[in-house]
Amino acid sequence: MREFLIILFSAILVNNFVLTRFLGLCPFLGVSKNIKTALGMSYAVIFVMIISTAITWPLFNYILYPRDLAYMQTVIFILVIASLVQITEMFLKKLIPPLYSSLGIFLPLITTNCAILGLTILNIDEGYSFVESMIHAVGAGIGFMLALVLFSGIRTKLEHSEVPRMMQGLPIALVSASLIAIAFYGFKDLIEQLFG
Amino acid sequence: MTDLIFTVLFIEAFLLPALIGGGIALGMGVIIMIAARVFFVPVDEKMKNLVNILPGINCGACGYSGCEEYASALNSGETQDAGKCPVGGADTASELAEFLGLEKPDFTPQAAHVFCHGTLYHTSKRFDYSGTVSCEAAHGLFSGPNSCTYGCLGFGDCAQACPYDAIYMADGIAHIDSTRCTACGLCVKTCPKLLIEIIPKHLNAYTVKCKNKWPGAQTRKNCSIGCIGCRMCFKTCRFEAISMDGPLAVIDQEKCTRCGECLDVCPTGTIHNGLMVAPDSENHPRSTGLHLWVDPKIRKKQAEAQNNTFKQDE
Repeated sequence: MREFLIILFSAILVNNFVLTRFLGLCPFLGVSKNIKTALGMSYAVIFVMIISTAITWPLFNYILYPRDLAYMQTVIFILVIASLVQITEMFLKKLIPPLYSSLGIFLPLITTNCAILGLTILNIDEGYSFVESMIHAVGAGIGFMLALVLFSGIRTKLEHSEVPRMMQGLPIALVSASLIAIAFYGFKDLIEQLFG
Repeated sequence: MTDLIFTVLFIEAFLLPALIGGGIALGMGVIIMIAARVFFVPVDEKMKNLVNILPGINCGACGYSGCEEYASALNSGETQDAGKCPVGGADTASELAEFLGLEKPDFTPQAAHVFCHGTLYHTSKRFDYSGTVSCEAAHGLFSGPNSCTYGCLGFGDCAQACPYDAIYMADGIAHIDSTRCTACGLCVKTCPKLLIEIIPKHLNAYTVKCKNKWPGAQTRKNCSIGCIGCRMCFKTCRFEAISMDGPLAVIDQEKCTRCGECLDVCPTGTIHNGLMVAPDSENHPRSTGLHLWVDPKIRKKQAEAQNNTFKQDE
């Protein structure tokens, strides 16, 4: 149980996908203009992270690895994740339309995002078991959501503040993103203090 | 022998990965094909047409979360009322009714109206505000810098929210160009002072352009054009269209006959005649001087003079 908690919290805070690993930066900068779209995107990311981990972990450990085909993971993973999201989208459209309309455009957008692929490959590299991988996926998704929501709050503030002309728009967004990232480094000791 | 090794190597190194990769791809393709069949959702042609008739800005003024929701409610018979879209107006309503074979609804056009005309000239500033240029932010700081804490802050949150460019800021308050306003209600939601209301679009509408609930003396001190609750209009109105909400007169637009008697008795000039129009328009108050406070007696004379000129024209 303790290991699970460590994996969950370190994925959310210490090894935050966006702010520490710098994965999934395009949605981080692209849809963080207001909290509503940031939340929509985050739900889609959590959702896709969980289903893609659930399918890629067994695929790697039972099909690719025993046949010495570990080098094919990137190709196979992208292929599998992309088609899986496609299927889930159809499934949701038919059976749970409210969820489909709330995830909306974000679901296909996130399909082959680097955060998703990064998560599945990290699960393999870290040697996580299936349950650990799933917990890691949930943690990574929540961490993504945390970063996105925090950042959207900052960006709405940025829109109202006077920024020097050469820094307006993306530059100031990137600067503030790196400041949050530095702040997140402060969590490094937290996990050790809590669980160490 | 070399042939055999070569064959084994060939199979191990090339054929197997290709087969596994290809197999997974093929499998996924087949599954998607099956899924597309099983989870096929037919697109309703009628729905498509209904959505096309609606304006498609998803403002939510109809009470549904967007144009598509309203269209599906109409389509499924959940509502029989084709006149719920204030943005599309009478045209959209009759088009929808025609398409669905419903009765044509009575459609009264509406417009948003700012219930404050305490401009820079009528109010003063309690302090210098140099923070974020946003009504909501200023409102959070001691209810904003204006002397009247009920009044328009003039930072233009509503103007930013308006998708039709119907709101313009002048003399420190918001004005709504009623010719462009579609009564979608987006500005109503953004105003932190709750000053904007949707009223029937009578170009000659009479409104008490004030929302303050202070006693008269305090109002007087902070705004020269605010409603002081003297009840003059309340007593004058013959149609019971004016009611007193505490120290504030409110005109019921449904009962109002637009006779204009209240305008003449209002000592502060709070009651306003007419809806706003764009600054470039001929009827704009800036050119007629209507929105600036004028002593009622002088204004009465002006009005009489104007009436006389109209009579002469006739």
